[in-house]
Amino acid sequence: MLANRNAPLLAREPLEGAYVLLTFRHPEVAAAARAGQYVMIKAGASADPPLRRPFSVMTVDPKEESFTIFLKAVGAGSRALAGLRVGDTAACLGPLGRPFTPPPEGSEALLVAGGYGIAPFVIFADELRREGRKARVFYGGRTAGDLQIRDAFAERAVPVMTATEDGSLGHHGRVTEPLEAHLDVGAAAPTLYACGPDAMLHAVARLAARRGLPAQVSLDPWMGCGIGTCLGCVVPIQRAEDARPRYRCACTEGPVFDAVTVVWSGEQSSLARRRALEAAPA
Amino acid sequence: MRLAVDVAGLHLKNPLIAASGTFGYGVEHAGFLDLNLLGGLVTKGLYLQPRDGCPTPRIAETPSGLLNAIGLQGVGVRAFVQDVLPRLAPYDTAVIVNVCGDTVDEYAEVARIVDDAPGVAAVEINISCPNVKVGGMAFGGDPEMTFAVVAAVRKSTRLPVIPKLSPNVADITVFARVAEDAGADALSCINTVLGLAIDVEARRPRLAFGTGGLSGPAIRPIAVRMAWQAARAVRIPVIGVGGIGSAADALEFMLAGCRAVQIGTANFVDPAVYERILAELRDYMERHGLRDINSVVGGLTFPNDAPPLGVRE
Repeated sequence: MLANRNAPLLAREPLEGAYVLLTFRHPEVAAAARAGQYVMIKAGASADPPLRRPFSVMTVDPKEESFTIFLKAVGAGSRALAGLRVGDTAACLGPLGRPFTPPPEGSEALLVAGGYGIAPFVIFADELRREGRKARVFYGGRTAGDLQIRDAFAERAVPVMTATEDGSLGHHGRVTEPLEAHLDVGAAAPTLYACGPDAMLHAVARLAARRGLPAQVSLDPWMGCGIGTCLGCVVPIQRAEDARPRYRCACTEGPVFDAVTVVWSGEQSSLARRRALEAAPA
Repeated sequence: MRLAVDVAGLHLKNPLIAASGTFGYGVEHAGFLDLNLLGGLVTKGLYLQPRDGCPTPRIAETPSGLLNAIGLQGVGVRAFVQDVLPRLAPYDTAVIVNVCGDTVDEYAEVARIVDDAPGVAAVEINISCPNVKVGGMAFGGDPEMTFAVVAAVRKSTRLPVIPKLSPNVADITVFARVAEDAGADALSCINTVLGLAIDVEARRPRLAFGTGGLSGPAIRPIAVRMAWQAARAVRIPVIGVGGIGSAADALEFMLAGCRAVQIGTANFVDPAVYERILAELRDYMERHGLRDINSVVGGLTFPNDAPPLGVRE
């Protein structure tokens, strides 16, 4: 059940650099949020910056009626949130958006995260364990300091492969490289899930299309409202029933989309490409 | 305590109306906001056909403001009437349909379709959207086109007709009078202010469309000034809109002569904005010993009755 509340901050855990974990009391989010869903949240009532910010729900605690977000204080909105003290409240609407769909029975879930795209995969790991599905995390970033959420997976006995572009932790290179290596040797017919920068999502989508694997990507365009009214966050999506791409709200019809339906900038969706190939004379 | 207002033949239970383009078609909010709280709501702009709108990115935050170039993405008036309007029927609030067109005939046709539909209280005419290549602001920036569009819509519907004026003109009173002469029942003042935000790293506009319309608290003094000018220039009621997020903001417009107000960007910021503003309005009325909110309309006074500087009479 969606609810708009002034959510009190229950706990604040600063991590390295500009990263912080914030836990808010919000019974509806705690009770109903699923992996991939998010909240629109804002610290204080200042008109500058005016808008709330979307943050993935990282974990929920229904008993404490709380949820936790993971954020990097990079702009005015996230800095204001990171600066809250325990007891302060934040205006919070949620849970919002379409969650990840768990894999079919027997399919291993490969969770590919870039930077703070890791957040929804913690709650997803809990869901997958409840559903009796295996999970494995591929966690990439520019440098070791960007990979803050590793213990959460160790606690859940979910294996984590790390990759950093500067080689300071794990594989030296992009996160899609250990992912490819695993696909060559791992269990058959896995399902891919990706959350992170656009370039990484696109790379995972290409890889999945090449290998004929199902993939779900969580898109992160700038969102104005979270409820499908400002139409600021639309992304071009082409589903099987669409004759051409249509702008759909990432806030309500996403943020999680089937990767084959996403029209990446300058390309057709792989669904459209596949159909064009089928339609072409041999 | 009386909060009800009458505007253009509409009886609104309170002066708060959700502004076009910031409230979807209303139904999107029904899950977490009691639509019965609203005096009225204005739908997203509707054309005859569905529209894709502008490429992305479409929105950018600026100091105390929101710059947008959505480009009137929408389902089209027939789908609205068939699929959405019945879902608004249970609510006791005035549904105002914002009509758009690429041509004068299209505006009139959209208004005619709306006129036949049950449950519509009035028509707002969009002659002020800055994010379309034809129609919109191009019509609202030209007095002859303004007259033509308003007169054509006036002829095509029995509903009250409310042109929404653009601030991107040298003298809004010219357009207010033209709209009144063409048969408007009220005016909405103002639409967004034309702006441009630049990504200095990429040396490109932050919006794919290039320019956009600025809304939010950043434009409120501009909007109050223009609504005040328009209200003094015409006999028909003026509905104030531009950066309202509190009762104090709403009261600025009402003191400047507006009979009702529209809430825009604040809908994105706070879905509970109506409850809060209504509570604040009651508090203001109590503190000022007011029984009727209408008593504040036009209540602005100037020291020594001196006309304000900077505005031509």
